[in-house]
Amino acid sequence: MWWKLLLFFWIAAFSAIGILTPIAGTLGDVAMMGQMGSAKEIPVKFEIADKSTAAVGADGAAFVMRGIDAQGRSADFAFASNPSDFDAATGYIVQGRYDAAAHRVIVSKVLSTNPGMTFPFIPGLEERAKIILFHVPVSWMTVIAFLVSMWYGIRYLRKKDLEDDAKSAISAGLGLLFCILATTTGSVWAKFNWGSFWNWDPRETSIFVLLLVYGAYFALRSALDIEEKRASLSAVYGILAFVTVPFFIFIMPRILPGLHPGSADDTNSGPVVSSGGMNATMRIVLYSMLLGHIVLYAWLMRLRVSVTRLAMRKADGA
Amino acid sequence: MNTTDVMRSIIAILGKDVRSELRTRYAVNALLMFVVVTLSVILFSLAGETVARSVHAGLLWVVMFFAAMSGLARSFVAEEERGTTLTLQLLATPVSVYIGKLLFNTALTLLLNSFIVLLFLLFIPDFTPAQPGLFWTVVLLGGVAVSSATTIIAAIIARANTKGTLFPVLSFPILLPLLMSGISATKIAMEEQAWTSAWADLQLLGSYIVVVVTASILLFEHVWKD
Repeated sequence: MWWKLLLFFWIAAFSAIGILTPIAGTLGDVAMMGQMGSAKEIPVKFEIADKSTAAVGADGAAFVMRGIDAQGRSADFAFASNPSDFDAATGYIVQGRYDAAAHRVIVSKVLSTNPGMTFPFIPGLEERAKIILFHVPVSWMTVIAFLVSMWYGIRYLRKKDLEDDAKSAISAGLGLLFCILATTTGSVWAKFNWGSFWNWDPRETSIFVLLLVYGAYFALRSALDIEEKRASLSAVYGILAFVTVPFFIFIMPRILPGLHPGSADDTNSGPVVSSGGMNATMRIVLYSMLLGHIVLYAWLMRLRVSVTRLAMRKADGA
Repeated sequence: MNTTDVMRSIIAILGKDVRSELRTRYAVNALLMFVVVTLSVILFSLAGETVARSVHAGLLWVVMFFAAMSGLARSFVAEEERGTTLTLQLLATPVSVYIGKLLFNTALTLLLNSFIVLLFLLFIPDFTPAQPGLFWTVVLLGGVAVSSATTIIAAIIARANTKGTLFPVLSFPILLPLLMSGISATKIAMEEQAWTSAWADLQLLGSYIVVVVTASILLFEHVWKD
């Protein structure tokens, strides 16, 4: 029982951390936005370099303090007025834009005082970068669940134990559930980042095919009456489907141009998680979420397997 | 059973299928008419419009896919309908049955695909592949890939209750990687692009055939024997 509570708190806590951790850029980010000619204000995190030099600026209106960002670069931050919590502050996350001529960041709003953990600012993604913490674990679980389904399919074909077939079907069902979650989270996100719910990016195609494969898997199961026949034929189809799935999941998205990171025409990040292009804080949260999802899957699997086992025993009249 | 025996029974099964097909011409006649009908629908809907060559590549694969879907289940379903499955199970090893059927299906698909392409070349005026060599390679390799993936699925659905509708449902997701690379390579063959840009697609088709045939040989026994 205790581990179920722990699991619940684990997933809830890391979801909360994922959602609540602020996105904050560096001076490099805000300068780059300025160079691109964008008037957009972005969040910047800095430490106050020397409190005693903070003063009303030369132009009279602004309250200027020197700040050092996470990469050790420093610049002036011009506030419209003296922030009320200035005495207690050691650093801020502010919303601002870069003024190249005066080499200062014009601050429009203080987002947070004495910030703790932050995620990096990624141009074009910003807050939307957090999708990785939810979408990637469910996508991985899709593949893992289908792998387990194939594994029990192989076991059924070797040992002809109907319980293996039941496990295979249950895992495929859970895989389908994760697959639907991955599709909907991705699709809603795509509307806000890429402009439409569906773009036929190679990875979108691949998840669509996974849905079709396991839709077909359950269609086949329902078309067969005799238990043994259903078990062996659906195991064969599951294995056959899983050997062609790598073409979609692992090969196509990498050799074809697309919108997801790691596509053939992706020049900035490459495969985000495996290439080490990911921020360390974000990586820890991602791996914790992944662990939580694996345990969640194992729990659901155990639950459904024991229900099936009881049903089988009842059917046998024992 | 040694290798020569297996070879002999493979050839016997292939020969049996070819002979019974030639006697009734059930599949071939129906399939050729299917292709003619589908092509006339395409010709009606195009109605003299000039379409981009890449669209033709897509249309060609649509026709090839549905022709395969309507024809390739036949080999195993016919055995069930005639009630000859049991005899075949007794007389031949699963591997030789699978390879015999695979060869028959491959021959049927290649015949069908060549016929489809010939009709496209004859009746659609601007259907002119810029690189005929690459074009025929893709069409024939694609045909082998389609038959290699669908043979085992035909064996699966021959044992299911809803034989007709399930075949395309089960085949489509498995065939999709090959359809995608087939269409992309055909597009390249239709246009004046470098031959090498189709190389990744051809590699994918080749490795697809190897993977699917290997998996089928290993799995066929479980489909075939009760």
